[in-house]
Amino acid sequence: MTDVSAPTPAASEPKSLLNLDARTTRRNAAERRFKLYGMMAVSIGILALAVLLVSILSRGLPAFSQTFLKVDIYLDPAVLDPSGDRDPEAIAKVLTFSYDALIKDSLTELANELKAGPAPDLTPDLLAGMVSGSANAELRRYVINHPDEIGSTVPFDFLTNARIDQYLKGNVTLESAETDSRVDPAQLRATDALQRAGVLEKRFNWAFLTNPDASENRPESAGLGVALIGSAYMMLIVLCLSLPIGVAASIYLEEFAPKNWMTDVIEVNISNLAAVPSIVFGILGLAIFINFIHLPNSAPIVGGLVLTLMTLPTIIISTRAALKSVPPSIRDAALGVGASRMQAVFHHVLPLAGPGILTGTIIGLAQALGETAPLLLIGMVAFVKEYPAGLPEGLFQPATGLPVQVYNFTQRADPAFVERASGAIIVLLVFLVIMNTVAIILRQRLERKW
Amino acid sequence: MTMTATPGAEAQAPVSPAATLNRSKVSTRDVKVYYGEKQAINGVSIDIPEKTVTSFIGPSGCGKSTFLRCLNRMNDTIPICRVTGEITLDGEDIYDPRIDVVELRARVGMVFQKPNPFPKSIFDNVAYGPRIHGLTTNKTDLEELVTSSLKRAGLFKEVKDRLHEPGTGLSGGQQQRLCIARAIATKPDVVLMDEPCSALDPIATAIVEELIDELRNRFTIIIVTHSMQQAARVSQRTAFFHLGNLIEEGRTEDIFSNPREKQTEDYISGKIG
Repeated sequence: MTDVSAPTPAASEPKSLLNLDARTTRRNAAERRFKLYGMMAVSIGILALAVLLVSILSRGLPAFSQTFLKVDIYLDPAVLDPSGDRDPEAIAKVLTFSYDALIKDSLTELANELKAGPAPDLTPDLLAGMVSGSANAELRRYVINHPDEIGSTVPFDFLTNARIDQYLKGNVTLESAETDSRVDPAQLRATDALQRAGVLEKRFNWAFLTNPDASENRPESAGLGVALIGSAYMMLIVLCLSLPIGVAASIYLEEFAPKNWMTDVIEVNISNLAAVPSIVFGILGLAIFINFIHLPNSAPIVGGLVLTLMTLPTIIISTRAALKSVPPSIRDAALGVGASRMQAVFHHVLPLAGPGILTGTIIGLAQALGETAPLLLIGMVAFVKEYPAGLPEGLFQPATGLPVQVYNFTQRADPAFVERASGAIIVLLVFLVIMNTVAIILRQRLERKW
Repeated sequence: MTMTATPGAEAQAPVSPAATLNRSKVSTRDVKVYYGEKQAINGVSIDIPEKTVTSFIGPSGCGKSTFLRCLNRMNDTIPICRVTGEITLDGEDIYDPRIDVVELRARVGMVFQKPNPFPKSIFDNVAYGPRIHGLTTNKTDLEELVTSSLKRAGLFKEVKDRLHEPGTGLSGGQQQRLCIARAIATKPDVVLMDEPCSALDPIATAIVEELIDELRNRFTIIIVTHSMQQAARVSQRTAFFHLGNLIEEGRTEDIFSNPREKQTEDYISGKIG
């Protein structure tokens, strides 16, 4: 062959392997440089992730704990059950408003006790202001569930006002309280004393996960309950619709459809749909499901349908990739012993493609779970205080979803909502991580060699 | 170019009890195959006798595998492939629109170039065909059929203790014999083999060749091979393909010792190919 490189020196003299020529040195340097770029790129990514996680965790974790005030409440039968026969219907008729007096009495008693001891400038009114506005409703719910406790004195942990809670978390100070209409500096001073006395306590707040949203007046009782239910309903719809539709469409396109211009057009359009901004799907949902079919606003059914449309391309693309990756020899083998096309697909190809399909589906679901924009357009970014009912009616009742709840919280000024927004993001991330982990585990478990 | 002893006669009188031994099983007349615009087979007519081994030889790309795959309509799976002409199995046109291709493939089994067992147990591999065709009615019959198929494929002794282990765990030669067992378990009349030994080592090849020779008592076997020695060893009849044409067909001894066509002689002596 012809020699294209520089003229070689006399072949008689053997060249040492230890002496690198300029070309090799340059080549090695280029390789080292490239590795360095790669490591830098990865480090930047990891750094960004770390900053994100640290900022979200540091802001959001406090949302999971909340300050509670311990009070002994005397459940006065004269107020709660005037007829005295413990009839649940009669008890349920007592309005929330009537419970205020019970709480007020107990708090006055407690305030007087504390005034003598650790908190000298505490008045009954100040103490009552420190308790959340949701206390009466909470007490009423307890009484309705435990009618036989009427007449006894029950120890209660009431949520404190968000300002008190934020003071203990360091976001409200005595200086800021001077100009704050919702809190008195005296209350904050009392807070310190009460905490020392063990009457106030900060602990894990399950209500953050179970309570519905709450208004600006009582941010301390706002929770993600409705959003979690809404998201769960929507995921259920997405799973039940997009998995069968997507898998059936992919199997047909991949294994049965003739390859002609029409299937080419469909294929290109599926890829394009996967890249369509999600808000476009929201507009579509608004136009079709709400304005044309007249499904209710803010309902999980609409959200689920819109998210299904959005998830379908992802599932179809990943399913087709999984089907494509099954070696054709398996199809030949099945057809060769006289299996029909469908038998070949369902007995042999689909089981082998299963893990890939499952992974694609879970990733599609995770995407749908985190999607916000289309839900904004179909009215799911609403203030929903009532839990939707069970299935299936619940699908048609107003709910929110986790990501729109995050958006909702960030729209409100109170510092308690700021920490709740981050807390909701943590919940969302936890779900996403769980789903992706499940996807990875399933893929590894089910993957078979052939 | 080439004709067997009774050209065309079979098409009219498919069953002739007196001539069972060499009765032609598969007959083709002027078969042309196109891949899109490109013609891959230019009019092949051949009669393949029953219970004999017929080998198709020829250089790569000469169309012998394509032609083989027409015989059980495996080419149907390739969308751009088009077949014209007539192919009959026992006198029935297999491209007749009324023919169920599933039924056809149950009668014309196939063994592929690369061993392709299903990623299932050895037992399930062999039992798959009988199960989908409903050949057995109960578990004992099925076990019986699997065992006899494995025995016939010469694999039973090696795998009898691990019938429920995956078929993909066997060696290449064992996998290929498993595929043969799978093909014969559906009780086909014809077994098509597309270069069954090309992925095997010489020892495994020898075992498979021996097996082919034994199977000839029960099945009509058509084998595509690259190896002329293999054709000479296992087949009674040989057909030589070149550039999509059937150049010559006849008794294997005649083809190898006394070819009529110059091209055949050139290929056999190594001048082309």
